[in-house]
Amino acid sequence: MLFPPDFLTRLEYLSIISKRVFRGSLLAQRRTMQMGSGIEFSDHREYTAGDDLRYLDWNIYARHGDLLLKRFQEEQDLHVYLMLDCSRSMAFGNPVKFDLARHLTAALAYIALADLDRIAIVAFANGILTEFPVTRGKARILPIMKFLENTSTAGEATDLGRAVQGLLHRGSRTGLAVVISDLFDEHGFQRGLDQLRYRRFDTHVIQLHDPKEADPALLGDVELVDVETDSVRKVTVTEKSIRTYKRYFSEHQTAVREYCRGYSLGCTQSPSTVPFDDLIMRMMRAAGAKG
Amino acid sequence: MTFALPIALALAALALPIIVFYILKLRLRRVPVSTNLFWKQIFDEKPPRSLWKNFRHLLSLLLQLLMLLLLILSIADPYFPWQLMQARKLVIVIDHSASMRANDIEPSRFEAARQTAREIIAGMRFRDEVAIVLAGQHPEVAIGMTSHNPTLRRTIDSLSVSDLPTELKPAIELGKQLIGDHAHGQVIVLTDGCVEKLENPIETPLRIESTETISDKAKVVFQVFGSEASNVGITQFQVRRSLIDPIGYEALAAVTNASATSIRCRLELTLDDVPIDVLPLDLKPGETWSRSIEKTSLNGGRLMATLTQIREEIPTSSSLPSGGLTNDTPSANSRSANNPNALTTDDSAWAILPPRHKQKVLIVTRGNLFLQKVFEANPLVEVEVRKELPNEYPVDSIVVLHSHVPAELPPGNLLVIDPDGPCNDWEIGPTLDQAIVTDQDKNSPLMTHIRLDNVIMPQAKQLQFKTAIHVLASTVTGDPIYAELKRTNGKCLVLSVNLEQSDLAFRTAFPIMVTNSLGWFAGETGELQESLATGGMSNVELTSQPSEPSKVLMIRSPSGIQTPFQAIVTSKPITTTSPPISRTALAAGSPSQPERDTALAAGSDAKPSVAEEPAASADGSLVAGKVGPLNEIGIWNVVSADGESASATNTVPSKDVAPPEPLYEIAVNLSNARESDLRPSKEFQASNTNQPLVSSWLGRPVWFYLIFIACALTTTEWFLYQRRLIT
Repeated sequence: MLFPPDFLTRLEYLSIISKRVFRGSLLAQRRTMQMGSGIEFSDHREYTAGDDLRYLDWNIYARHGDLLLKRFQEEQDLHVYLMLDCSRSMAFGNPVKFDLARHLTAALAYIALADLDRIAIVAFANGILTEFPVTRGKARILPIMKFLENTSTAGEATDLGRAVQGLLHRGSRTGLAVVISDLFDEHGFQRGLDQLRYRRFDTHVIQLHDPKEADPALLGDVELVDVETDSVRKVTVTEKSIRTYKRYFSEHQTAVREYCRGYSLGCTQSPSTVPFDDLIMRMMRAAGAKG
Repeated sequence: MTFALPIALALAALALPIIVFYILKLRLRRVPVSTNLFWKQIFDEKPPRSLWKNFRHLLSLLLQLLMLLLLILSIADPYFPWQLMQARKLVIVIDHSASMRANDIEPSRFEAARQTAREIIAGMRFRDEVAIVLAGQHPEVAIGMTSHNPTLRRTIDSLSVSDLPTELKPAIELGKQLIGDHAHGQVIVLTDGCVEKLENPIETPLRIESTETISDKAKVVFQVFGSEASNVGITQFQVRRSLIDPIGYEALAAVTNASATSIRCRLELTLDDVPIDVLPLDLKPGETWSRSIEKTSLNGGRLMATLTQIREEIPTSSSLPSGGLTNDTPSANSRSANNPNALTTDDSAWAILPPRHKQKVLIVTRGNLFLQKVFEANPLVEVEVRKELPNEYPVDSIVVLHSHVPAELPPGNLLVIDPDGPCNDWEIGPTLDQAIVTDQDKNSPLMTHIRLDNVIMPQAKQLQFKTAIHVLASTVTGDPIYAELKRTNGKCLVLSVNLEQSDLAFRTAFPIMVTNSLGWFAGETGELQESLATGGMSNVELTSQPSEPSKVLMIRSPSGIQTPFQAIVTSKPITTTSPPISRTALAAGSPSQPERDTALAAGSDAKPSVAEEPAASADGSLVAGKVGPLNEIGIWNVVSADGESASATNTVPSKDVAPPEPLYEIAVNLSNARESDLRPSKEFQASNTNQPLVSSWLGRPVWFYLIFIACALTTTEWFLYQRRLIT
């Protein structure tokens, strides 16, 4: 059973915590970066012909003679896109990374629905495999959980860029995109995140890994079988190559972290042995400290 | 190169399965990974050069094949012709005499010699053969020529030091015989050099020969283990019964200070563990102290002399030993030169004092106070006097018939003085007036210390004997006046002198004559039971009454080891008043030898039988045999043991079982002044070799190096595999 009986209770607890402590900071009830017909003033810009005269700031004109147009921040429902990596590499480890990823997806979806936001779930591997359409209302959590239960690892090698491209081609509105993946993307994880960034998505990356991926217990002559591609590689693993592997793995993790920091993206890296609620709490604490 | 076991080369076929298995590589372990992303970077970043990649796989195979080749060659046991030509024959002569017990070298000289022998064995070259000869009183081959190293080591481990004196010459000669005509023979003598100057045959080998020698002069090398150690020891200890005092004895003790300094010590004497005397000694360097100590004891026993409280006087600078240590190797382990007593073997000595037994004497006389008193004056005699002949004669008494003669002489021991009539063994002839003794048997123990030629004998009887006699004293006319009567039912002496009219009773010869006769009747000859030096032999003679048939006689050493007593049993009847098992042993060369011959002659008509393990005189017969060589100091015993324990030779009885009562005891002492002197002879100091006796490490057989290389290759292959430099 993917979701234990007390799963919803734990989700409700997380939802309350998020409202009380990190209200408006995490997912819902946050302002979009869209300018529009809201009531909250944002800034001025110069008047150009054709602009609606109702938004002309007459007080400025009276004092300085400049025609400036008032801009307001648009208030609208936040769209949250939860991008769940369903590649076969997510089925690796003990416990498997995919279970934690689905728990996280369900938890984030519940918190967003509780804040009256709209959420959509996109399952991807080398492209979009399946998706849960945009929905709202807490009552939708059960279908979401059922959807997640029915989702399994499939597809070929991870291709985040192609998955994001598919999402964008669907004409999705901008919003918050949460990528839950191990980011073992041969094409580079940056390609997909770059596209989200270009489309002004608020992006948060949750990168999961198994402890054995960080410290493989291998030595000697072995056949390494890539679970995503089924490619086999006969190698002789030595102490030296293990040390090199650890260095490359660490560099990969650092690269993800540095990328997110460089572009102000949220980033959470965790081994798959950590419970999902602890990880959510850690994310909320990090967001609270930032906000 | 030649192979000792060329058939082992067929094992090279084992290379085929190795190659086959190498070609048919085993399936590798499949390990699923979530991504090959990083592994690709590792193995694609620096791809191994194809040549090394191929070679490192081939290298593993080559290493394994090389190891197999080395192992097969080692089994085939290759050797070079020159190894056979250069092979040596060594004879290690190990001195295991008493002086090798000295502890001036830690832990002892013998242990140091044994350790050197082990090193020589460990350094044997391939095809070398070694024999080990023990040099004691007689040479003994511990193990013959062999090249089997473990056997030689076990033999050396089983060697032990003895209490014997040193005789190097026969051992060296034996070593030369073992070497024979071998071109590379060598006799290595491991000794402490505490021997007398060697004679001519050793003169040549005493000088270390630098060139090859002819066969009968094989190279002899000496390694001396010893220092100028100080020692004081008992070099002589004997005891004998007094010739004057019936219960007295005299102990002769000699103590030698074999050191360069004055030594003070005490000589303690005990008799059956009861202290009898303590003599303080102050011995100058090289001095030998000797003294005869007179004491009394009726029962006799074990007399023991012990040196105690041995301490060195403060030496002056001039008295310090100048020679120093004689050998570089042992000197490193030498103890302080201030130890005044480096050898403890000669600190104790034993001697056996024979007991005196009371004799019952029945005097039948009409009255002669001189005759009665001469017997009563002897403390070992219980006298009973009667005036008439008894109806029955006691069997355990000596009967003295003075002027009384029955018609038929009774059996047993008889002394007839001035017989007044004939009997079955003689007739009375005319009276001899003014008889003068002109001839007497000086060799007979009955006539010891007696002169009768000046004794006035106004009247004596002429006896015409019917049986054979041994004349002890006779007159100028040839008439015997004192004779031993040869008869089968007891000993008998006849003195035909009229005591009342002669002055014989007033002469000192008379009590001596009576004392001699009492000793002769008793059959005791133990006035001197010699203490033997180690390595000596002893003649043992026992008479006994019937005992358990299952018992056998055993020789029991001081350390408790029992060996069967090889003896000759004769069926000589017991005719003496000796105790059931009397001590009638006669040491070889003792003064009582003629007496023993006489005793043996009495039973000469009985055919002696040789018994492997004689029963303990089940029929009361005479048991005689040689014991020895007695190679251990202390008290040796002849004991009667069970047949089961006697069936196993060299047995050590359990400590829980009380040792059997000894039937006969033999004291064995070191009693060797040269063994007590621990200072090596100057000849040995000069001839001590400084050449290394041990071969170099490279003198091992070829297979040893092959195995060594194979082990090194195994280690290398293991290391390379663990480092994944080869697969």
